[in-house]
Amino acid sequence: MPAASTSGSNWREPTKDEKPPKDADLKTAWAFLRVGVEHIMTRIHLGMSYSYYILLYTAIYDFCTQNRPSASAFGGGRGTGANLQGAELYRSLHNYFSDHCKDLKEESEKLSDLELLKFYAREWDRYTTGATYVNKLFNYLNKHWVKREKDEGRKEVYTVYTLALVAWKTNFFRFFQGTNGTSRLTQSLLKQIEHQRNGDAVDSGLLKRVIDSYVMLGLDESDAQRQQLDVYREYFQEPFILATAAYYKAESAAFSSNNSVSDYMKRAETRLQEEVDRVNLYLHDTTTKELKETCEKVLIAAHSDLMWDEFQSLLDGDRSDDLTRMYGLLMRIPNGLEPLRKKFEEHVKKAGLAAVQRVLPAPGAVNEAGKAESLDPKAYVEALLEVHSTYGEVVNGPFRAELGFNASLDRACREYCNANAAATTSTKSPELLASYCDQLLRKSNKDLDAEALEAALEQAMVIFKFIDDKDVFQKFYQKKLAQRLISSASASDDSESSMITKLKELSGFDYTNKLMKMFQDVNIGRDITERFKNKERTMGVQSDVEGTFMVLGTNFWPLAPQATDYSVPREILPTYERFVKFYGEAHNGRKLTWLWHVSKTELRTTYLYQKYIFMTSAYQMAILVQFNENDSLTYRDIQTATRISETILKPQLALLVKAKVLLQEDDTYDLNLNFKSKKIRVQLNQPVRSEQKAEATEVLTAVDEDRKFVYQATIVRLMKARKTMKHHALIQEVTATISSKFTPKVPEIKRAIDHLIDKEYLERGADDKDTYNYLA
Amino acid sequence: MAEDKKETIVLVTSDEEQYTVEKKVAERSVLIKSMMEDLGAHQDMQVPLPNVSSSVLVKVLQYCEHHKNDPLPAPDANDQDDARRKTAEIGEWDAKFIQVDQEMLFEIILAANYLDIKPLLDVGCKTVANMIKGKTPEEIRKLFNITNDFTAEEEEQIRKENEWAEDR
Repeated sequence: MPAASTSGSNWREPTKDEKPPKDADLKTAWAFLRVGVEHIMTRIHLGMSYSYYILLYTAIYDFCTQNRPSASAFGGGRGTGANLQGAELYRSLHNYFSDHCKDLKEESEKLSDLELLKFYAREWDRYTTGATYVNKLFNYLNKHWVKREKDEGRKEVYTVYTLALVAWKTNFFRFFQGTNGTSRLTQSLLKQIEHQRNGDAVDSGLLKRVIDSYVMLGLDESDAQRQQLDVYREYFQEPFILATAAYYKAESAAFSSNNSVSDYMKRAETRLQEEVDRVNLYLHDTTTKELKETCEKVLIAAHSDLMWDEFQSLLDGDRSDDLTRMYGLLMRIPNGLEPLRKKFEEHVKKAGLAAVQRVLPAPGAVNEAGKAESLDPKAYVEALLEVHSTYGEVVNGPFRAELGFNASLDRACREYCNANAAATTSTKSPELLASYCDQLLRKSNKDLDAEALEAALEQAMVIFKFIDDKDVFQKFYQKKLAQRLISSASASDDSESSMITKLKELSGFDYTNKLMKMFQDVNIGRDITERFKNKERTMGVQSDVEGTFMVLGTNFWPLAPQATDYSVPREILPTYERFVKFYGEAHNGRKLTWLWHVSKTELRTTYLYQKYIFMTSAYQMAILVQFNENDSLTYRDIQTATRISETILKPQLALLVKAKVLLQEDDTYDLNLNFKSKKIRVQLNQPVRSEQKAEATEVLTAVDEDRKFVYQATIVRLMKARKTMKHHALIQEVTATISSKFTPKVPEIKRAIDHLIDKEYLERGADDKDTYNYLA
Repeated sequence: MAEDKKETIVLVTSDEEQYTVEKKVAERSVLIKSMMEDLGAHQDMQVPLPNVSSSVLVKVLQYCEHHKNDPLPAPDANDQDDARRKTAEIGEWDAKFIQVDQEMLFEIILAANYLDIKPLLDVGCKTVANMIKGKTPEEIRKLFNITNDFTAEEEEQIRKENEWAEDR
């Protein structure tokens, strides 16, 4: 602020000689003060000297401390307390402010729109700045007379600054409110905002200054420090929200009928952001919520049908950007996403079913062997995974990993994974998945290094999670694991145990207990073989038979001896007997059952020009050693010597004939003395096709057997805890308990209940046939 | 006070004496402080104080100089204010400072009120309160040279109304 200056005006600062005397009456005192107040309120930019300021202050001080009979602003002289003068001064000041504002009101009447806003903002700035100065100058009045009045509970007495705002509101601001609703000032604001929405340049700073005055005029009569937003809300926010709704209602209707949904969404997104920015530019923060809700209602909710209808074509077209935008819009309104989630679920399900259809062998297709082409487990699992990962990316990308969409994806995947063109029964998928895992884990799988294998197993677990009949997978997996372990066909122990750990994490200890035990048996087997060989060495046994032994716990392995006799050939009999003795000594009381059908042998030939090694089954070995004594034997001879049952013996003989090791003529088999092979090691131990076929059926039968026990055990466990249960409740609880393992079937549960009643674990209620009681 | 870079202003008393005062000291007066805030710094501008005589201003400036580094009471900090006002305690320096004759004591109080120096006003008022404490009305009248303008009836009435406060 520059020092007192006279440039550019007729202003002359009064001197101390003009100061009223200490005991001046109101008229004299106010005449002097009015000049100073007027100067501050209208010409403060010209500056003011210290001495004039002090003169004004002193005049106020003198007037307020005059020792005269006290008088309150509102009459009724109260005789108590010290004399505090001020009522008349306060009233004079109030009149001055009121007159000033009335003048402004008159001046404003001929202005409108932008001119009005400019005038209002300029006057408001000048007025509030002046009032701040005057407020301090009248500090003595504020601190004594005003404070005393307020302390005595007098309403409508304010500190000088507040008084100035009240005068503004009453004599100027209020008059903008015409008879027809919205204030003229507010209308001017709304017009500018509409210009801005139409894309015209608008002075946001000006709007902010005017709108801020609405906020400041919200005075809390009892506490000047507290902000009241009632003026802002009533005079500005309400009309503003109405205008906003009307504007966007019209705009969106016109735009959406002339443009694509995609373009509409872009426009809506822009508009929503613009309104957020608008709050930051010149609105009060508290408007955010209502403005947002209004825009969302008009711009999104009113057009949600349009977007829902468009969703399918966006999915079909893989329009990631549009999907992102649609999600971003619809997530803002209540229930906006639910229709999308439903459509998405349906879409993923269809995609899954179609993917399976594509990998299915064409009907009637045959392989080189002339057999019907079978579905490749790898292609099948990869097809399932492909769909899951494609739409997983959509969920994590456009749908921001939202829980509802994740649930839709899971539900859809569960559906197409368990029932599709390949999986006509619920046991088919688990079987194929187990086969796929088997392919991965076999030594013969050379495509993948350890890391890629681990990743592939991880992926297999994704499908495992969706599988309903986890017990079926378990059985098939166990079967395949047994085969891999016995034939040492595993790619690596690490991968095997990693897979078991994964299954355990998802399905628990019980689920993988047997698998772990099997794994351990194989290691124990190595140890036993080692110890046996050591013993043989220390005892100085000379033998041209070398053997390795696996001792497998009967309860853990899905293996049972085949229904046949087997006469242990005398060539291996001594070793066989010594091992039985050795094991019996080490583990007294354990019974060994020999699983010849999974045993393998290697035989060295001595009867041919070239030395070969025949790799054979134990059955083939038993057959071939018979030819150590004879070059020609009848079927009866072989059968008598080996005691192998016909159903097994015949196919085994057929394999040997096919490999041209034996020559068959009617019932007689001759050793082929001219046998020739390109390889030294000759693999004769080929799988028998009928066995392969039987395998799946066998597993499923085992699953069914196991399930019977699961039903019964679950029922007994529940009944033991509850003692008595209604039929319907029992069925429900059993279903709930079992469904993590497989999908239970109600008729099976009923059968299990009947079985338990027969066995007298349960009884039907005497009065109520619908109730079961537990019998201890 | 070797530092001559300090901002100063000139205070002019009712008897036309001039005092050059460090701005920081003068600003103990809320009147001077808010005036300078609003009008800005005027180099070497004089501030007339028509209601303060030089003998009193010297005393007041003594107080301001001593307290120039105290935190300024926040405006409208009434709670804190009340707490400070309620304790009858007067600081050691202040107690010594305010040991002046009765006339000067009242002059200081008036000046503190005019210049708006709240802590000084409080010191003055507390001192007066301590002078009154434990004295009979007659003693107080004597102390402050007040003539008793109550009638006997009025006096009895007032004594009755204030009985509860009597120290017995």
